[in-house]
Amino acid sequence: MGGGGGGGDGEPEFQIAPMIDVLLVLLIFFMSITSAQVLQIDKEIELPVAGDAKKKEKNMMNEAALNVRWTKGKALILFENASYEIVEPLVEKLRARKESNDKYRVVIRGDKRLPAIEIQRVMSVIAQAGIDDISFSALNKE
Amino acid sequence: MAVGFQIAPMIDVVFVIMLFFMVMVGSVKVERELKSQLPGMAPPSADTPQEMPDEIIVGVEETGAVTLNEEEFDSPTDKKLPNFTATLMRLKQETDNRNAKVIVTIQAEEQATYERVIDVLNALAVAKIANVTFTIGSDVGF
Repeated sequence: MGGGGGGGDGEPEFQIAPMIDVLLVLLIFFMSITSAQVLQIDKEIELPVAGDAKKKEKNMMNEAALNVRWTKGKALILFENASYEIVEPLVEKLRARKESNDKYRVVIRGDKRLPAIEIQRVMSVIAQAGIDDISFSALNKE
Repeated sequence: MAVGFQIAPMIDVVFVIMLFFMVMVGSVKVERELKSQLPGMAPPSADTPQEMPDEIIVGVEETGAVTLNEEEFDSPTDKKLPNFTATLMRLKQETDNRNAKVIVTIQAEEQATYERVIDVLNALAVAKIANVTFTIGSDVGF
């Protein structure tokens, strides 16, 4: 009876335990594929689409997201859960981050409706902080 | 009567969750990145011979029109920019054969959308052109 089809007498029995094992492994696999990022992401931002952009590097320690929201015809910069209307404090904060970590990089997550001048402003803030490694976030499809 | 652990409903649930994740994999939007480099602090080394790079100016207009050295490519609403991408790839190939560098300057009008700038960056990523600088309006570029 307990042979599980392994050559004993009697009928082979359906084993439930290995099946659950397999199912759980599959479940974990699919969960890990669809997992959301842990980066500070602003859900209100409509990212632009760039199908040929590279995959993100798993480099959470050295990077931070700089979210640029577009609300009511105005751009709003958000960094580490704080919004910045004046850019000087942001420059200071970014500079401090760069000084404590030389590999520090910034991911610009801009809304696709933003005018180019606002992105220019953000880039100038990052440059003033002495950070030269940046990237622009985009989705792989609509 | 003791209540035993029921395996069948558990498998049902696991199956449903697994199906959900399997279906989600197809439509999941992944955030990707377009890398860029801001002018760094490190001065170029004096030992390496400086070749004159080929400089291309890419214009992004408010209407969405994309120009390459003042010649307009593709329609202002075409996200894929096929002719523009093909021209860039040819150019890159040609400069690679000569061992020269290509430097692209993106000159976006102030009110040009960020989405269009990303379309251009995406085309540049397809053509594997990495040296990109930005100028917007009459401002000094980054």
